[in-house]
Amino acid sequence: MIFVAAKLALSRIRATKTRSALTTLGIIIGTMALISLVSIAQGATRGIQSQFQGLGATNLTISATVPNTLTLDDAEAVASQFGVELITKQVRTSAVVGNENNQVRASLVAVDENFSEISEPSLFVGSFLPTDKGLQNVRSVVLSSTLALDLGLTVDSINSKVSIGNTEYLVVGIIDDSQGFGSDGIAYVTLESAYRYFAKSPYLSSISLRVADENLVSSVTGSLTSLLLNRHSISNASDADFVITDASAILEALNTVQSTLTLLLGGIASISLIVGGIGIMNIMLVSVRERTREIGIRRAIGARQGQILTQFLIEAIVLSLLGGIIGVILGEIVAVLLANLGGWEFVLSWATIVAALGFAMLVGILFGVWPARAASRLKPVEALRFE
Amino acid sequence: MAAVVEIKNVSKIYGEGLSEVRALDDVDLTIEENEFVAIVGPSGSGKSTMMNLIGCLDKPTRGIVKIAGQDVNELNDVKLTQLRNYAIGFVFQQFFLLPKTTAVDNVSTPLLYRGLSSKEAKEKSLAMLAKLGLADRSDHQPTQLSGGQQQRVAIARALVTDPTIILADEPTGALDSQSGEQVMNLMEALHKEGKTIILITHEAEVANRAHRRITLKDGKIVSDDRSGQKV
Repeated sequence: MIFVAAKLALSRIRATKTRSALTTLGIIIGTMALISLVSIAQGATRGIQSQFQGLGATNLTISATVPNTLTLDDAEAVASQFGVELITKQVRTSAVVGNENNQVRASLVAVDENFSEISEPSLFVGSFLPTDKGLQNVRSVVLSSTLALDLGLTVDSINSKVSIGNTEYLVVGIIDDSQGFGSDGIAYVTLESAYRYFAKSPYLSSISLRVADENLVSSVTGSLTSLLLNRHSISNASDADFVITDASAILEALNTVQSTLTLLLGGIASISLIVGGIGIMNIMLVSVRERTREIGIRRAIGARQGQILTQFLIEAIVLSLLGGIIGVILGEIVAVLLANLGGWEFVLSWATIVAALGFAMLVGILFGVWPARAASRLKPVEALRFE
Repeated sequence: MAAVVEIKNVSKIYGEGLSEVRALDDVDLTIEENEFVAIVGPSGSGKSTMMNLIGCLDKPTRGIVKIAGQDVNELNDVKLTQLRNYAIGFVFQQFFLLPKTTAVDNVSTPLLYRGLSSKEAKEKSLAMLAKLGLADRSDHQPTQLSGGQQQRVAIARALVTDPTIILADEPTGALDSQSGEQVMNLMEALHKEGKTIILITHEAEVANRAHRRITLKDGKIVSDDRSGQKV
């Protein structure tokens, strides 16, 4: 009987196309809003997330919070810990970088030969710092594209010279930092040249390291903490002169942002979907009144109350589902357009589509029950006599 | 022969107090199987109320109405609907076909409510339409059919459930004389096949085709004329 009722509902909707389309317009718009807004929330935050994932879920950074405490010996000890695959040592400071065009204050990051393997900087032009042992003390510098731009450098400026402090360096490469944040100018030099010209050996600002396996991250974090506390003769963990951070903490925070944003935008869109449901209820009530005679005929020839109820309820559900499907399609189109416009990746989320359709159907049931009940409760005699 | 309609001390009262209207006033009536009965009377005599009671569309205020042996007062909506579906075939003055629905779908509807598969219902409906000379009209909608054709589709819908009683309310009232004649011939043929025919009418010509004429006035039966009954 549900099959028959569904067929009846479909043929009725087909017979009154314009009215059905107008009835379900609210649901179409509501679903469209739901799909496109949730897609915006997810697409926009996913862009930022993927940048963090680029940092690697297995990467940890030990940063000194007190100057001149973290040393090269600490780095040796860290490197020999179980689970640590690769480390790279860094010294960070700031300096005035200049050439004939300009003088700019920039971050100066001195790195060792493992840096490019762990951080995977994306080169815009030229090459990264030399990694051969013999070339570690050359005065080569790699600039971030922001800094290169500030100094008036172009693609052709490889092998031009810039001064850092009082020392001249050769520009060997420019890296693309457009995807990073804190797009301050950064100049990368080798650790050895840093110790020679402006940093105090054997101190380090930070040690980045890659853990062999994602599952080891937390245990390695623990063992490194106790190792360094021990080496620095600190008994109380809250007095530590370093912090260990990993990408997962930042990712977790981003996930929270994403779900909050999704809930907020989804919630707003849901309200319009509910308003769409009221539209369905309105037209269904009118429809029941218009079709009183038809209901009377059906009752006379053998339709039970339940069968009339089912017929109208299914009509409401089919209307809202139809609106939901059209809304999903339109919403995804809007989402693709917005993703192109906003420059983030378009994400087709099946979970969102299923949830949106489910919600549209729920609205249909919720607002279809009243008209359907009204139809089923008509008295056959009175319904037949209705003009 | 078994009684298919038994009405005992039945009153149907609308409204209360001063505005009370006794549409039927303490009426007794028994109709046997395979009778051909016309219920006649002026408007307001209680004809329509009688039809609603016999058609199980309404219940009496007082008294007992038994259709096909079942006391309608004791039936809930589901059972009452079932009784309508199985025992009674309705034919209305205005045909009352479902709008925007083909002839065959109209005829199938009572079978679908009964729970038949749509394939089975369609087969039976097509056979019934063919029997009434409408085989080539089965996929027409009501608006594409003449009045006489619409009434025959309605009769096919009434017959397809193989009911005991054909209950016809002014079946020729909206038809020209030729179509009306066709419908009355059909009624007579159905009577010969063993159906109980109950006509509600105010036209003497139609009533005269019946074998028994029951005249209502002011909610009471004033005559029960069996003179037309064939020997």
